[in-house]
Amino acid sequence: MSDPQTADPLSKAATATEIAAAVMTGKTRAAAVVDATLKRIAAAEPAINAFTDILADRARKRAAEIDAGLHRGPMLGVPFAVKNLFDIAGLPTRAGSKINLDGPAATRDGALVRKLEAAGAILVGGLNMGEYAYDFTGENAHYGPSRNPRDTTRMSGGSSGGSGAAVAAGEVPLALGSDTNGSIRVPSSLCGLFGLKPTYGRLSRAGSFPFVDAFDHLGPIARSTADLALSFDAMQGWDPDDPVCTDRPADPTLPRLIEGIDGLRIAIAGDYFARGGEPEAFEAVATVAKALGATKTVVLPQAAAARAAAYVITAIEGAELHLPRLRTRPQDFDPDTRERFMAGALLPGSWYVKAQRFRRHYRTNVLKIFDEADIVLAPATPCTAPKLGQTMMKLGGVELPVRANLGLFTQPISFIGLPVVVAPLQRPGALPIGVQIIAKPYNEQAALRVAAFLEKQGVAAAPPA
Amino acid sequence: MTDEKPDVGRLVDEAAKAIGLPIAAEYRANVILNVERSLMIARPLLEVELDEELTPGTVFRP
Repeated sequence: MSDPQTADPLSKAATATEIAAAVMTGKTRAAAVVDATLKRIAAAEPAINAFTDILADRARKRAAEIDAGLHRGPMLGVPFAVKNLFDIAGLPTRAGSKINLDGPAATRDGALVRKLEAAGAILVGGLNMGEYAYDFTGENAHYGPSRNPRDTTRMSGGSSGGSGAAVAAGEVPLALGSDTNGSIRVPSSLCGLFGLKPTYGRLSRAGSFPFVDAFDHLGPIARSTADLALSFDAMQGWDPDDPVCTDRPADPTLPRLIEGIDGLRIAIAGDYFARGGEPEAFEAVATVAKALGATKTVVLPQAAAARAAAYVITAIEGAELHLPRLRTRPQDFDPDTRERFMAGALLPGSWYVKAQRFRRHYRTNVLKIFDEADIVLAPATPCTAPKLGQTMMKLGGVELPVRANLGLFTQPISFIGLPVVVAPLQRPGALPIGVQIIAKPYNEQAALRVAAFLEKQGVAAAPPA
Repeated sequence: MTDEKPDVGRLVDEAAKAIGLPIAAEYRANVILNVERSLMIARPLLEVELDEELTPGTVFRP
């Protein structure tokens, strides 16, 4: 974890934790943080293209209120941005589309935006994303691709591409994304960042544009584990506006990061998760396992069928959501989502029901693994960031479509709503890649503790590009 | 599961008609490609045999 005493809170390297400490102690003012953030965004955007909306006036007003002592909280003065499927009061909720710009402006912020601001944070903008979140690349025909700050000729990953790009570029220390099949974890891996996909239902999705209700999760992307925990803790809590939001009491994770990994049984996912990717994906898992002293291998049974079932449910639910727009405005869709949505609308209903029946079966069997392990390690992506515009890639010697396969290792996990932290490995002279740290439902704290340990050991890190 | 190759073009045309989804000629080839891709990706699920008493996970609490 970063030392809050050492970072310049106005620099791009400052974490949310460091900025909050500086503002709370009066070392700096929120207005100065916002000014520095807006300058960095203006300087970076021509190359990165992470933002679709910059809320300079709103952010400056909020900062002035903070400096006047009107707001308090553990995230005081922390600038953050959100994937543009989160409602932002006064703006239409794009969800990466052109069509939604014709819709009404949101009348209030999404639930998680309100929670972060209630904790003292400052929203500075809306972020680029793959259209309607049906994406693993971060590309978008309407707004251009989010570019990977580690190499701007490459994909940021998606669909929370702007979230990954903005944090990796040091434009903001923290961004929110959504993850249906991997859309927080894929950009975290490709951009070399920490990302948290919480347990399904753990954080409210109210005030966000849906994709697939069965799998939609929201969560943070950041450059430190402490920032994930800080923001996650601020966002926990029941919300009657999201029917799947849990009524379990909040379980603060930040105070537990110092506990380390003592007492945690850590295993490595074998079989499906040990093949079908490039060597760097498995080397990353081996590096992390070695640092953690993990040697035991476990098998998530029928993971390939789980990935297939996640694909089927996604295709059919997503298509049904967009069917009215597909009938009336097909020309206004991103060509890279349009025909996939159309195809999903034509798949048999029996597939959907079978996928949902299999989901219960798979959940029962996978949860048994957590009787013998608290944490399971797996690759986050099968490869490092592909080139922008690349449509095919070789995985394990087989030529496969990029779009359908960047989430090979994330889909079987979100399919049953398990919490996951992605820990990024920076590789000198090469692109970063992430490892999934998977826990049983509601055990985010264990996954965060493992990531914090790796960060402290220098195995995982997420410096700005 | 049968190994007989389906006529995906016809399936797309007829299913689209049945649900009232017009598919312009310029989109048709890609829709067919994506249905074919879905048939391939879904196969591991379709090959699984499940107990009849297994209920869907649509009401889902992890």
